[in-house]
Amino acid sequence: MLSVDIRDLSYRYRGQKRPALQGINLEVEEGDFVVVMGPSEAGKSTLCACMNGLVPHFFRGKFRGEVRVLGRNTREHSVAEMAEFVGLVFQDFEAQLFSTNVALEVAFGPENFCIPWEEIDQRVRRSLHLVGLEGMENRTPASLSGGQKQKLAIASVLAMEPKVLIMDEPTTDLDPISKLGIFAIADELRRSHDITLMIVEHETEEAAKARRIVLMKDGSILKDGPAHEVLREVDLMESIGVQPLGVPQFFHTMGANELPLTVEEGVAEFRARGWRIDEAAYEALRRRDAERARSYGEPIIRVEGLSYSYPGQVDALRGIDLEIRRGEFLAIVGQNGSGKTTLVKHFNGLLEPTEGRVVVDGEETTKQGVYRLGQKVAYVFQNPDHQIFSDTVYNEVAFSPRIRGCSEQEIQQRVKEALEAVGLVGMEQEDPFSLTKGGRQRVAVASVLSARPEVIILDEPTTGLDYAEQRSMMELVSRLNQQGHTIIFVTHSMWVVAEYAHRVVVLKDGKVLLQGATREVFAREDLLGETFLQPPQIVSLSNRLGKTLLSVPELVQCTCAGG
Amino acid sequence: MDTYLYLDRNTIVHRLDPRTKIFLMVGSFVMTLLFMHPAWVAMALAVVLIHGAVSKSLSNLKRIWWILFMLFTMGTILWALFSSGPTPFVGPIEWEAFLFGLGNALRIDTMIIAGMIFLSTTKNEEIVLGMVKLGVPYRFGFALSTALRLVPTINATVYTISQAQRSRGLDLDSGNAIVRLKKNIPLVVPAFLSTIRSTNVFGMALDSKGFGARPTRTNYMRVGFHTADWVFLAIMVGLLIPGIYLWAMKLGRIPGLTKF
Repeated sequence: MLSVDIRDLSYRYRGQKRPALQGINLEVEEGDFVVVMGPSEAGKSTLCACMNGLVPHFFRGKFRGEVRVLGRNTREHSVAEMAEFVGLVFQDFEAQLFSTNVALEVAFGPENFCIPWEEIDQRVRRSLHLVGLEGMENRTPASLSGGQKQKLAIASVLAMEPKVLIMDEPTTDLDPISKLGIFAIADELRRSHDITLMIVEHETEEAAKARRIVLMKDGSILKDGPAHEVLREVDLMESIGVQPLGVPQFFHTMGANELPLTVEEGVAEFRARGWRIDEAAYEALRRRDAERARSYGEPIIRVEGLSYSYPGQVDALRGIDLEIRRGEFLAIVGQNGSGKTTLVKHFNGLLEPTEGRVVVDGEETTKQGVYRLGQKVAYVFQNPDHQIFSDTVYNEVAFSPRIRGCSEQEIQQRVKEALEAVGLVGMEQEDPFSLTKGGRQRVAVASVLSARPEVIILDEPTTGLDYAEQRSMMELVSRLNQQGHTIIFVTHSMWVVAEYAHRVVVLKDGKVLLQGATREVFAREDLLGETFLQPPQIVSLSNRLGKTLLSVPELVQCTCAGG
Repeated sequence: MDTYLYLDRNTIVHRLDPRTKIFLMVGSFVMTLLFMHPAWVAMALAVVLIHGAVSKSLSNLKRIWWILFMLFTMGTILWALFSSGPTPFVGPIEWEAFLFGLGNALRIDTMIIAGMIFLSTTKNEEIVLGMVKLGVPYRFGFALSTALRLVPTINATVYTISQAQRSRGLDLDSGNAIVRLKKNIPLVVPAFLSTIRSTNVFGMALDSKGFGARPTRTNYMRVGFHTADWVFLAIMVGLLIPGIYLWAMKLGRIPGLTKF
């Protein structure tokens, strides 16, 4: 029986010229597991909103076609009526939690449908057990980690016992193992509860768990088929800005016709073809790493015995020692709540150590203050919308030099440089709020570059961006590093670390668990697992082959296909 | 950073029915407003503080002491300046005017502390449920609790935004009042926009969880009157009746006070 039946669906938001969806036809069988992928603005979230009637009831716009979920026409039923059968988990998990404790949050949905008390109580227990939050019934949602909040958001929808569950990018902001945890829950639901699942996902490694993948672009469906087939469409995925899976991408680049999908299949195929890793090429890579490490300048940031505790809470950082040299490109990784952001906020003086000290450019941060440090150490926050306020891109970028008293001529020069660096020349008079998220992220970077800082800290620079935007953002950061800026970035995205960072610091429970050159750190797959991290598929493949290679091009470069 | 006032403690006050807690808060307000003389208001304050101590919620005073202190000093001075009496005291302020200022400032602080104790001991959901049980429509009660919930959310957003802008060199602490007001634009614009955005998601999430799907709803949270509720209600009534009697007897006022 069909769970979802969409016919000739087109939708245009009021005030928009371009339709968000056009000509969508989609049938989903009961119990199926579909992942929807595509670049930003592909219409994925709009498609989700159509499933429970938010489109057309909550949003205003022009709706054509028909959406039937479990036989009900969404046009004829209100969102609240559809909610009894269709659960929707939003990307922004902070904004969808509104109760003061975990149990009440989960009970909210069933309460609205007049479910008897005893039944609600059972559902609360069942849902929390399913997502692994049992025992946390009395905690406030605010006290949970990012991963736990997302699980709570899912549990609160599961308690309504929907027949169809839609999740819009449920793993954004989560560490790699928590991401897998969400997909494990999804799989369990499908197998044991016969729920129809539709998940929007950016990350291909997670999407690989689906039975079926739908690729979207510009409001239309480009490809719809079994996951194992779609994941082998390496060229198509790349062409629309969706990251292909590492293993098939490697074999595709090597000219293979049969593309393995998993690490195990990859290892077997690699060996079956008689390929081997070229020792000389591998050594050349290691020499390049060593040369690069030697080229760094004097230490610019020194962290000595740093501990920090937020008022009334446990220690966020415990005895950190770290040295960062001029010209480095450093990634700070660790699971949700491991202290990454707390650590980097000490580098520009936003936080002051509870114990120990942080020295920037030879002087303690506590003596310099945020204002003075801001000229040496720039900080790009995770969400560009937390800092953009001007009516034009020019004014936004000019903000920092202007309040530092630069002359108008000097300001013009600095804005020009900063916009050139981020590739936004010609956009000076645009309204920053009219840009895409990737564009706004660039404005945010430009607006700290105009202070001409030596060090640039970026907190989750790729969150919320699609693959193409992530690449272009990191290429920009990489260029800034080549121009002499020291780069420190916090991230959950392991492929970004593997392909761009020179050195990695792994935090666990407020301590440094591991640090070293990226290649060395990713070689320790066992230790990384302890802190909820997992190398990208291609790195795992190479590790299994005995060497650590950080990207598809590196593995291609080091593969001897001649036998 | 947890910006909710609610303190998850297992005290006798926390376990009371929300209707009792609402009555205790309103009773404290009435008791405070009955008298004008600071010595009498101080008695009401003492009762409120005992209530706070029993509910182990006075630690929240640390979070609002600055507001209490500012209201107390500014209130005392302003009310004293805008009233008068026959007995000279300090400069242009007469003794009666001073007592009036002090009494009013104490009243304001006492009511804020009573409100703080209520919020420290009552979950948002309990407030809604208490109001519903008292006959207030659910939607209205829910809207009120949403407003209460928005305060800490906006607070946390503004904190993040101010860190982002300080990192870019914004110095919020220098300059005269107008300059400082202007400096807040980089905080206000992003705070406003992100609040609108998250309120939008909040609205969608509410709809998607069947808010208002049925004319009535089940309450998972269970409340009810127990012995402790009756005891607390009796104590409050026992304080209010003589209080109202003394007020009717025109006690607790400031003789000779002229208000402007």
